[in-house]
Amino acid sequence: MAVTRRRARPRFTLLVLLLASATIITLSYRGQLDGVINGARHGAGNALSPIQSAVSAALRPVGSFFEGAANYGSLQAQNAKLAQENARLRAQGLQVPAAERQLHSLQALQRLPYAEGIPSVTAEVVAQSSSNFAETVDIGKGSSSGVGAGMPVVSAGGLVGSVVSTSDHRATILLLTDPKSEVGVNFGQPPTRGVASGQGANQPLQVSFVNPSFKVRKGEVVPTSGLQSSKFPPNVPVGRVRSAHLAPSALQWDITLAPLADLSNLQYVRVLEWAPKP
Amino acid sequence: MMINRLRLPLVVVAALVVQLSVLSGLRISGVHPELMLALAVSVGLVAGPARGATAGFFIGLVTDLFLVTPFGLSALTFTLVGFGSGLLQASVLRPSWWLPPVITLAASAAGVLLYAVIGATLGQRQMLHDGLAAIVAVVALANAVLAPIVMRVVGWAFPEGEASYGVPSSSYLQPGAGR
Repeated sequence: MAVTRRRARPRFTLLVLLLASATIITLSYRGQLDGVINGARHGAGNALSPIQSAVSAALRPVGSFFEGAANYGSLQAQNAKLAQENARLRAQGLQVPAAERQLHSLQALQRLPYAEGIPSVTAEVVAQSSSNFAETVDIGKGSSSGVGAGMPVVSAGGLVGSVVSTSDHRATILLLTDPKSEVGVNFGQPPTRGVASGQGANQPLQVSFVNPSFKVRKGEVVPTSGLQSSKFPPNVPVGRVRSAHLAPSALQWDITLAPLADLSNLQYVRVLEWAPKP
Repeated sequence: MMINRLRLPLVVVAALVVQLSVLSGLRISGVHPELMLALAVSVGLVAGPARGATAGFFIGLVTDLFLVTPFGLSALTFTLVGFGSGLLQASVLRPSWWLPPVITLAASAAGVLLYAVIGATLGQRQMLHDGLAAIVAVVALANAVLAPIVMRVVGWAFPEGEASYGVPSSSYLQPGAGR
């Protein structure tokens, strides 16, 4: 039987499988499998998303229990801070119930001062990153609502990232903090340009290519540059200058940006139906 | 027999759902367990290196569909991990209850490291960052904790069980079985 033969030659099996994986990696790297892979991703996402939604709804309390247990220390600190904040708000007579707050955050999202006139889709963040090696989130809307790969994503705070893959009712967003993410940004008036790239979760963005003759101010809010063929529209706030150093005889500023959007705590986002001009 | 062959695919899909909807949100210092990797290790432990490698390959391919890292990277890593854990298991003379968690710990650590190193050789330099040690440690420990459950489920998927003792139904769960 084939099974017996296979058992007798495990190394041969290993070799064949390693060659197969290497071939798949090579072909997908050269973009020759893009159609097949995207199709498979779309199909797999569609097949799994109803089960995923049902299971995560049913198991949410379990997840939060473990999450709570794992983050007990930080929760305690957060709790103390919140209690303080609560007392302050009570004193001001500003107690807003949770539902109303959610409404406010949604309303804030509807009245963005930037990206005006660009049609958009509002979506809820439904899952965190499925990989330990990428900064992504999943949203509960997909190609059936008009969300497409490459579209920029914003929140009330500012730029969040861009869509990397979609299925009918879900989409994955690559966050600004992912090391693969790069955004063209503008400093000051008249603008000097730089490129902000991600450095991983909870790390500030690193900006390169800013001309040393330009004066960078700490705390300055930095928007997208939106140059031709840029992946993002112009003037969407990206981050605030956290630190800026200029070593003597350096060829560029050493700048870090704190993202304006609260990327570790996203609730609702807006996907801009915008594509770069060719 | 036919139904038995459907057991592993069923287990893989179930594990994927658990990973995506529960475990991905369960973070210890920002890192979550990798159930699919633990699954590949367990198949190696239960069914030997050849089937470990084959199952690892397909589990990896399915996992890659839900990741933004280069396609095929999980398939390559899980193939090696499934094969390696099968070999480790075969080289051990006496079974004991603590062996699966320990092998899962080592194999998961090796798997994550391999994943990052191969990714970096493919041009994804950022995969070898400062946080890698934390990812290796958390994934290895969390997967070791998950190992007894995963072994039981995989034991169900391979009712005929190739390895002499990897099947969790009797031997390895009994304390003192190795004496």
